[in-house]
Amino acid sequence: MSVVLSPGSVEDAVAMLAEHAEAMPLAGGATLVAMRNAGLVEPTHLINLDCIAELRGIERDTTGGIRIGAMTRHCDTAACNDLTGSLLVLRRAAGMIANRVVRNMGTMGGSVANADPAADYLPALACCDAVLEVAGPEGRRKISIHDYVQGWYETALEQGEIITAITLPAPVAAPSAYRKIARVTGDYATASCAMALDPDGKGLRAAIGACGPGPLRDRDAEAVLRGRLDDPEAVLDFAACLAALADPLDDVRGSAEYRLRLIPRLITSVLSEIALQTEVA
Amino acid sequence: MSKKILHSLNLNGEEVEVATPAGATLLETMREDLRILSAKRGCNQGVCGACTVLIDGKPVRACLTLTARCEGHAVQTMEGMGGDRVMATLQRHMVESGGVQCGFCTSGILISARELLEEDPAPSRAAVKTALSGNICRCTGYRTIVDAVCSAAEELAQ
Ligand SMILES: Cc1cc2nc3c(=O)[nH]c(=O)nc-3n(C[C@H](O)[C@H](O)[C@H](O)COP(=O)(O)OP(=O)(O)OC[C@H]3O[C@@H](n4cnc5c(N)ncnc54)[C@H](O)[C@@H]3O)c2cc1C
Ligand code: FES
Ligand code: FES
Repeated sequence: MSVVLSPGSVEDAVAMLAEHAEAMPLAGGATLVAMRNAGLVEPTHLINLDCIAELRGIERDTTGGIRIGAMTRHCDTAACNDLTGSLLVLRRAAGMIANRVVRNMGTMGGSVANADPAADYLPALACCDAVLEVAGPEGRRKISIHDYVQGWYETALEQGEIITAITLPAPVAAPSAYRKIARVTGDYATASCAMALDPDGKGLRAAIGACGPGPLRDRDAEAVLRGRLDDPEAVLDFAACLAALADPLDDVRGSAEYRLRLIPRLITSVLSEIALQTEVA
Repeated sequence: MSKKILHSLNLNGEEVEVATPAGATLLETMREDLRILSAKRGCNQGVCGACTVLIDGKPVRACLTLTARCEGHAVQTMEGMGGDRVMATLQRHMVESGGVQCGFCTSGILISARELLEEDPAPSRAAVKTALSGNICRCTGYRTIVDAVCSAAEELAQ
């Protein structure tokens, strides 16, 4: 049975994690308590991050950039009016996680820390070029989302480090969208796609989820595609570049082969969805 | 025996003191220590919805919520919702439409349905199905439950 400690500051939380070797940070508990109930983890101490003001809320900085506190619940991200244009993709991804009740509990920091390959935030954050702010025994640092996932459930977080916030560049007026293919509403993704158009409409940024340990994004292939979005061959070539990066699992949600086939379909369908948004706008 | 810790909780509008094992979930504390039995333990994984309760008015999974984190927050279960007009209407329609068979899922379903009607008083059938997608029922086949929520919404709108 675990002792629950509730630090009031990031520094205290980091100190408690350093003091107790078998301690784990507790965000919403949506994954951690489920794992503990199943006997998969047995933390001696749970460091409850819910009383730390710094980890709460969504703010805009002076340049228009957005800082999402690690303890922000999915329901609040899904309702956030600051996530517009190029950042709408993140708001949409939040609204497709599980169901209302789980969205009232789960947090962005917890989801990112957990790095489930099929979870919804990582592809959306990769599409938004997010940066993670972390704090640990060695002090504070930033990690680009593109350097974050290093293997299956393996991340750039060091022992004793916590995520304090997720920061995003200022939104620009350009359409973005998130599409999730799942067996039923509320399930984890079989495959997913986060996409944002460049403001001039000539290029795009895209990340595929649930087809490898981390989100798939190919910025070189995006550069090649720029200026050729209305050429279906070029779009399929682009999708093939992403599929070449994939390392999909065979699991209950779908076979590896099925997932590979979903990648070009996701890219073409999400692209036509956001192209339509531009025409309407 | 694991060590018990004393917590003070605001449960269904009353202040209660309870001794519960360190790190216990709200579901364990309610069922084992307080004998509040409306919330059921189905999966203990957050998946089935049978343990859904309200904290500060919002539905959450009691099986994933630690009792230690409930101090200073208002916990509500079906036991404390008899006087709520929306809930009473939902309950009556559930009984009349045959939305209750064994009853294991019922309190979780009602709490999720009540939140839906608060946000969307005239939901479509599709919206009802989406809102209840996190609540599993092994008996009814769901149609009678969706019927109940839709007809309760109609009655409440009158
Ligand atoms: C029924 C169900 C369905 C779900 N469906 C989906 C889905 O469709 N899509 C999806 O993306 N997710 C889904 N999830 C997962 C959900 O989004 C969780 O919110 C998420 O995995 C993290 O949970 P949490 O924020 O409560 O963190 P916790 O469970 O509290 O923590 C998760 C892990 O992260 C660590 N941690 C937490 N916060 C921090 C931090 N700030 N810094 C460092 N480490 C930290 C913890 O120690 C733990 O190891 C589902 C969960 C459930 C129960
Ligand atoms: S027992 Fe909590 S969701 Fe199943
Ligand atoms: S009535 Fe039996 S599980 Fe729903």
